[in-house]
Amino acid sequence: MGYKKRNSAGQVKRVSGLLAAVVLFGSMLAGCGGQRSAEGSGGASQQGDVTLVIGAYSVVKDSVQDIIPLFQQKWKEETGQTVLVQESYEASGTQARAIVGGFEADVTLLSLEGDIDKLTKAGLVDKNWKEKPEGGMITRSVVAIGTREGNPLNIGSFADLAKPDVKVLYPNPKTSGGAQWDINAVYGAGLKESERATGAKDSAYAKAFLESVHANIESLDKSGRASMAAFEYGVGDALVTYENELIARNNQGAKYEVVIPDDTILIENPAAVVDENVDKRGTREVAEAFLDFLWSAEAQQIFAEDGFRPVDPAVYAKFEANYPEPPGLFDIEYLGGWSEVRETLYAKRGIWYEVLAGI
Amino acid sequence: MEEYPVQTTWLRHKGWTYGFRTTVLLYFVILIVLPIAGVYAYSFSEGWTPFWESVSDPIAWKAVLLTLKLALIATAINVLIGTMIAWVLVRYRFPGRAVLNSLVDLPFALPTAVGGLMILLLLGPNSWVGSIAERLGFDIVFHQPAIVIAMVFVTFPFVIRAIQPLLEEMDPSAEEASYTLGASRATTFLRVILPQISPGIVGGAMLAFSRALAEFGAVVLVAGNIPAKTLTASVFIYGEVESDNNLGAAAVSVLLLTLSLIILWLINRVQRRGGRS
Repeated sequence: MGYKKRNSAGQVKRVSGLLAAVVLFGSMLAGCGGQRSAEGSGGASQQGDVTLVIGAYSVVKDSVQDIIPLFQQKWKEETGQTVLVQESYEASGTQARAIVGGFEADVTLLSLEGDIDKLTKAGLVDKNWKEKPEGGMITRSVVAIGTREGNPLNIGSFADLAKPDVKVLYPNPKTSGGAQWDINAVYGAGLKESERATGAKDSAYAKAFLESVHANIESLDKSGRASMAAFEYGVGDALVTYENELIARNNQGAKYEVVIPDDTILIENPAAVVDENVDKRGTREVAEAFLDFLWSAEAQQIFAEDGFRPVDPAVYAKFEANYPEPPGLFDIEYLGGWSEVRETLYAKRGIWYEVLAGI
Repeated sequence: MEEYPVQTTWLRHKGWTYGFRTTVLLYFVILIVLPIAGVYAYSFSEGWTPFWESVSDPIAWKAVLLTLKLALIATAINVLIGTMIAWVLVRYRFPGRAVLNSLVDLPFALPTAVGGLMILLLLGPNSWVGSIAERLGFDIVFHQPAIVIAMVFVTFPFVIRAIQPLLEEMDPSAEEASYTLGASRATTFLRVILPQISPGIVGGAMLAFSRALAEFGAVVLVAGNIPAKTLTASVFIYGEVESDNNLGAAAVSVLLLTLSLIILWLINRVQRRGGRS
């Protein structure tokens, strides 16, 4: 307090030098890794900001990026806090593996239940994640067939894909988890056909059905996106993919025909809070709120506009004309549920392997 | 070797040599030996039976065979075209030669996926070349020709860069003697020039072949990836990793690695023999 006045100038200099070093060091640390800065500002920090990390599959990118500002606004109004969002988009399986491998996402949106199961198995997501509206599913879609403008080959069902001289594209479920939906749809359509003919589901018939379509395969791409890209380069006559992918492309100016077969599978895409991470980072409150917001009418509206079938009944009613329900629609339970499908279709020497190897 | 004058004794201290040698060895072990040994160890970690099961899977061995076949074709093309290009770049003087010469290395600098994308754009069904090929009744993109083109693109510089220095350092007197003795151009090339550049051709070709075996980025984009038709070993391995079958991936990697090791060892032998003669 005023004594040794002579020294104070020097002290200030020294202190400010030290401060500069600390600031420099701090900014270096911040610059070194987003992960570290996320940890620093995780939870309620002094300024009242909170960081939410979203790890999603690539297809929902556009929708999520439209939903985030709405959520930020709502959260600000309700709590006064600013939500900073870090986003990561990868193929669904890759994203799940990244989170298991230590990527600290608070909320995850994945393309299929199986990928959330990877997280529950690793103890990151609580087993009761399905105790949410619609069983934890935020969007629906169906597996559709994309054809060239005007549908020149008159393709109306998966059986038509087996006709001679039809060049078919779909991704390989071995490299893309999301592609399991596509193969499930074709296989399930075979089951449906056998059920209509004989009254019982015949897996041998369904396998033969899948083989007959697979005989026309032109390219077995590594992901749904790669399949779509190949189709855009002019390869193939028909593409088996999600309805929302095709609608998204058409929204961007493509002129593909979206054929929805009478017999096809209902796709359901889950989302969940990664319990382990939100507890560690103290972000549970905002993460839960974001997850719940995905079921709000506003968010569902955005999903519907981007080509997804909304799970919210009221929003779906508004868009029903765009998303007619095919008469022979079945869900994963028709094939016995995911665990059954994984064991029979996609096991190491399962049905899909046999179709691939031509056994 | 000439002895350099040494001012200070501490620079001659034995520690330097040991330190340097240790660093190089460590570097080599950590970056090259460990990962490769790891792949071998991992693929046999559960014994011989699972390894054999993975390798005898028809999808797996057909992918390896297909890769070998296409890599051989790509190497043959590179040997022919690469020798010609090296010849032109060394023997002819024309405007733009220096630019062309530096362009040769570009395939190394470009991410291979970009190369694949270019092949798709330039040879795809919507392109000029692709539509002509389609009218003639054969497909390029998503079929085997595209894979070969991708491999040729990626391994393009190897043969050229291996031959160039040999051509440049060649003693012109032998060639002149051949002509003055009445030998034709063809005979001179086959009997005088070719023997001198053949170590370069063989070495470059084997490097190119090894590299083509492992090519992934460009191939995965332009190949249809259909087992036994257009699925190469590298894409197969990627699929096994993606579907959590690391053992299967490691087993096929071991096949490729062993092949490459044999090839590299052969290069060494060929080049040593070439150097002696």
